[in-house]
Amino acid sequence: MAGEPVEKKDWLSRRAFLRCLGAALALTAAAKEFLFGAEAPGQAASLGLPLPEERVEATLKRLFGNRPLNQDEGKVKLELPLIAEDGGNVAVTVEADLPMTPATYVSNIYIISDKNRRPMIAKFSLTPEAGKAYIATNIRLAATTDVRAVVEMNDGILYAASKHVRVTISGCGDVPQS
Amino acid sequence: MADTGRVRIRLPSTIKPGEVIRVRSLIIHPMETVQRDKQGNLVWKNYNFIHTVTVTYNGKEVMRGETTQAVSQNPIFTFPLKVDRPGKLTITFLDTTGKSYEGTAEIKL
Repeated sequence: MAGEPVEKKDWLSRRAFLRCLGAALALTAAAKEFLFGAEAPGQAASLGLPLPEERVEATLKRLFGNRPLNQDEGKVKLELPLIAEDGGNVAVTVEADLPMTPATYVSNIYIISDKNRRPMIAKFSLTPEAGKAYIATNIRLAATTDVRAVVEMNDGILYAASKHVRVTISGCGDVPQS
Repeated sequence: MADTGRVRIRLPSTIKPGEVIRVRSLIIHPMETVQRDKQGNLVWKNYNFIHTVTVTYNGKEVMRGETTQAVSQNPIFTFPLKVDRPGKLTITFLDTTGKSYEGTAEIKL
């Protein structure tokens, strides 16, 4: 059939039809996201939406209830600079002098910044296979603040340490809590 | 960033059986923080940041991290690992766009 001229009218209508179909599909997808994206729980799309501000007292209450933090026990070593030159990149190290046996082990290490809009920065869950209660990472601090490391045992007992960090350049570019 | 998702893992050069080593991981990722417009209002959008880090050794989960926008851009995570036998270390990073990035390392004794 090569060489036969294709009717121009056919091409135009086919192309137009495909264009309309494409637009309709795009509209449906956009509408769906608008209607369900923000509201539907568990949707991947909603994971990155801003969460409401929370004061650190509420964060601690939400995470640990009324359990004592045992901050004076000296079991948790928290390393942070006294003055953070760049609030967007503050090195933090948490090490706990606590067992990591199958019966008794550190199950979670929380890093919390009192003055961040959402105080809980990260939560690391460990298993006895980790061998040691240790974690290091780099974090963003919104303003001069106390940073806490809360270490949770598999039986729920908590130990904590706190350090005051002076922040000259905010790490969040966002308004910190006053 | 075109480099987003590149993972680097640092291990000690010699490892003895039973030793608890320190593993250092780096991933290139924007870890977007909340933005505000000129009026000071929150920009309502889906921010791209890593929310979960999973470390497995020989198929068994050793560590899991729940991370937020308050972890630095191109985050570094240093974590411990008790090495009783040789094997494969896998670190997986999940971000809020649904993407998953993985880095692996072979540990020989």
